[in-house]
Amino acid sequence: MSIALRDVRKSYGRTTALDGLDLDVREGEFFCLLGPSGAGKTTTLKTVAGLERPDAGTVEIDGRDMRDVEPYDRGVAMCFESYALYPHRSVYDNLVSPLRSPRHRLPAAEARDRVGAVAELLGIGGLLDRMPGQLSNGQRQRVALGRVLVRPARAFLLDEPLSHLDAKLRQQMRAELKAIGAVRRTTTLYVTHDSVEALALGDRIGVIRAGRIVQTGTREDIWYRPYDTEVARAFGRPRINLLPGAVTGSGTFRSPDGALELPLPLRVAAGTEVLVGVRPRDVSLTGEGHRLTGTVYVTEVLGRSVEVTVRIGAQHLSLVASRAEAAGLRPDDPVRPAVRPEHLLVFEADRAGVPGRRIGTSP
Amino acid sequence: MRKRLPGWLADAALILYFVFSLFPVAWMAILSLKPANQLFSTYFSFTPTLDAYRTVLGGSEGIPFVRFFGNSLVVSVGAVALSLVVGLPAAYASARWRFKGSEHLMFTLLSFRFAPELTVIIPLFVLYQKLGLFDTYTGMVWVLQLVTLPLVVWIMRSYFADLSPELEQAALLDGYSRTQAFFKVALPLVKPGIAAVSLLAFIFAWNNFVFPLILTSHEAQTVTVGALSFLGGDRPKYHLTAAAALVSVVPPLLLALTIQRYLVRGLSFGAVKS
Amino acid sequence: MRRTLRPYLLVVPALLLTCGILYPFGLGLYYTLFDFSAAKPQPDLVRWENYRAVFTQDAFWNSAWVTVLYAVGAAGAETVLGVSVALLLHRSSRVGRILEKILILPLMIAPVIAAIIWKLMLQPSVGVVNHLLEPFGLGGVQWTDTPTGALLSSIAVDVWVYTPFVAILALAGLRSLPASPFEAAAVDGAGWWYTFRRLTLPMLWPYVLVAVIFRFMDSLKVFDIIYALTEGGPGDSTVVLQIRAYLEAIRFQRYSFGISYTIVLWAVVYLAATVLVRHLGRIQRKAAEVSG
Repeated sequence: MSIALRDVRKSYGRTTALDGLDLDVREGEFFCLLGPSGAGKTTTLKTVAGLERPDAGTVEIDGRDMRDVEPYDRGVAMCFESYALYPHRSVYDNLVSPLRSPRHRLPAAEARDRVGAVAELLGIGGLLDRMPGQLSNGQRQRVALGRVLVRPARAFLLDEPLSHLDAKLRQQMRAELKAIGAVRRTTTLYVTHDSVEALALGDRIGVIRAGRIVQTGTREDIWYRPYDTEVARAFGRPRINLLPGAVTGSGTFRSPDGALELPLPLRVAAGTEVLVGVRPRDVSLTGEGHRLTGTVYVTEVLGRSVEVTVRIGAQHLSLVASRAEAAGLRPDDPVRPAVRPEHLLVFEADRAGVPGRRIGTSP
Repeated sequence: MRKRLPGWLADAALILYFVFSLFPVAWMAILSLKPANQLFSTYFSFTPTLDAYRTVLGGSEGIPFVRFFGNSLVVSVGAVALSLVVGLPAAYASARWRFKGSEHLMFTLLSFRFAPELTVIIPLFVLYQKLGLFDTYTGMVWVLQLVTLPLVVWIMRSYFADLSPELEQAALLDGYSRTQAFFKVALPLVKPGIAAVSLLAFIFAWNNFVFPLILTSHEAQTVTVGALSFLGGDRPKYHLTAAAALVSVVPPLLLALTIQRYLVRGLSFGAVKS
Repeated sequence: MRRTLRPYLLVVPALLLTCGILYPFGLGLYYTLFDFSAAKPQPDLVRWENYRAVFTQDAFWNSAWVTVLYAVGAAGAETVLGVSVALLLHRSSRVGRILEKILILPLMIAPVIAAIIWKLMLQPSVGVVNHLLEPFGLGGVQWTDTPTGALLSSIAVDVWVYTPFVAILALAGLRSLPASPFEAAAVDGAGWWYTFRRLTLPMLWPYVLVAVIFRFMDSLKVFDIIYALTEGGPGDSTVVLQIRAYLEAIRFQRYSFGISYTIVLWAVVYLAATVLVRHLGRIQRKAAEVSG
């Protein structure tokens, strides 16, 4: 099933949650909606589910206007960030609840089998007699997910379903989630504030900010062609280097103190104030490319690799090197990191509160 | 901490207060057990007898106390039931949706709590006589809404507001209608609140005095008015009054003990939660 | 547009019932413009005559004065006593934990029954109070037979019934106070009195004020206790406004005139409520600053 939101607006009193949001989720895809808290992610999901009424704009499911369609007639299943487990019912009763409803009723025996299968899949088969209050957060999360998976649905709406888990469990569940057949086959709108999760899970990713979609695209789009500096900053750890400077008459980039000069991959008018972005993993100590001259500022071990921060004039440039490459590097040691021009992203300079847009192909 | 009251002194002060608080009830019990002929001659030493209770419950003084007791039961239960049926949906609606007039209704109801009762009763006294509702159960149940309805609506609103709306939303997405979501999810979760507010409303209805005093005469009269009538007449019968007073406080006291935990929210109209 | 209608549908029954109560109120308001009484069932329009009569009657000013004395006295005494009891119970000594369970007892007794109980206790012939006071040379006090005595006795009954109300609200407040400011004060070596005045009281005050508002407004419209204890006597000494309204409307069956009294009282209560609730809002903000 496809989902489309057109210029949706919603405000609660004086706070605007959705400010003209446009969104297209295609049939069968796993779409990640990524944004900081308060950006309107949950409101978007609830609007699709029919739990919130937009003040303006339309929600279409499979091309049909959903204006007067009740939540239970939309064919979507939703997993709430708060889990929304019925505290007065056992895990089994929570899971079987959709299958006892008038819309999705199954004969009792069939419902039991179905719940059993889903519980098995999520590894909560032993918890069916417990009450939600007796479960850990991770277990509750699985029950909430189970209640979504147990019923037939044409789309899944998942609101930060992994956010309350500890790091290890989160990683494990992330892998499992995509492996679940139902999730693979069904249109899924997945909300998260974690860019790693979005990159790992999303067939496509929508970046939401202050109630609007800033950019939609595949992970390659988002990674190589971020809409603006803020999107660029949101993805990738260590964070992308954003070096301030201006374009020279010969079309190169130069930092204000002149210590750093780089060839640009595209033509930008001379004198333009820009931010040049380069991801730390695209800068190397030994590889090919344009050589820069600087000194080691600090090194930090990241497991198998090392993040080296290099001082070039007044600027800091961080790069990721292998442990072998970085062995023996000490602060103030001279280094000559290499950058390939095709890895450079050029952005307009940030202006008061407005992140600079990428210069180049149109978004 | 320095300069604090020593523990024993604080305990002594507490005990003093509780003597003040409990002694009247204890003495009422003593008085009710006195035989008529020792009423004036002694204070604490006498031969206890249940005569006063027999007289009061037997109605032999011309005051049908048992019937008054039954009347109190009927009108209090009736008033609470009506308030619940009418008040629960209203409380739910105003907790869940912002809609025009909702706050006006809520504040009108709250103002009932603080309105001088006679403002409403005197016109009703005239009105009831025209409508034939004077001295009837229906009339009493109607006017008791002034006491029970604001209580039910305000307190239940605070219970519903404490409940995450996402639980009902989850039920909607599970495939239940809004009505079913209310009955299957919201209602069971506020059950303790309903129990507490029902009992509290019952107690307030039971303890009410001014409504039955003015709007009933004999048929629908309640215990509070009934107990006072033992003091009337040429020769007040103190031991009978004591017995009647004690009998009439039994139901509210028993109920109160079962809802202690919920009393704070109830008494403050949801303004203070414990 | 079923969705926007839903909340209204749910509220309709309550609205009807509310109208069922507002109707007699409106009717009463309407009656006050006439000279309706049992003696005059076909009343004439007199416009503001009833109100003018109320305000020019000495009896009204006397009643208003008595009502204010009663309300201030009762609410004041209940606040001091209730907060003290709450503070004592908050120490949760063994004695306190036992007594707390029976704290609400008087509050659950109908005020009229409470008044009956106290009437019997203060009664000169069978009353136990004078008997108990005799050894202290205080026997033979004319409790409800002197004007001052009657007013004080009525207030005492009010205090007996409602002190637990203030106490349980204040206790709930004490138990919900954040611990950290007190721990910080203890670390700083602050004394008991300083802690109480600078921390406990400002943070507790919103809770106490809720109780005070309830008690003050309720005692402005006291009826049951006085009706059973003194019936307004001796003379006019305890005729509070609702008793006066009762006497006029029900005893003397001057309906219009009686209702006018209650309308005036209603206005006073409403005004007091507005002022007090506004004050409560200010206090709550201030308390949030102290604990924040």
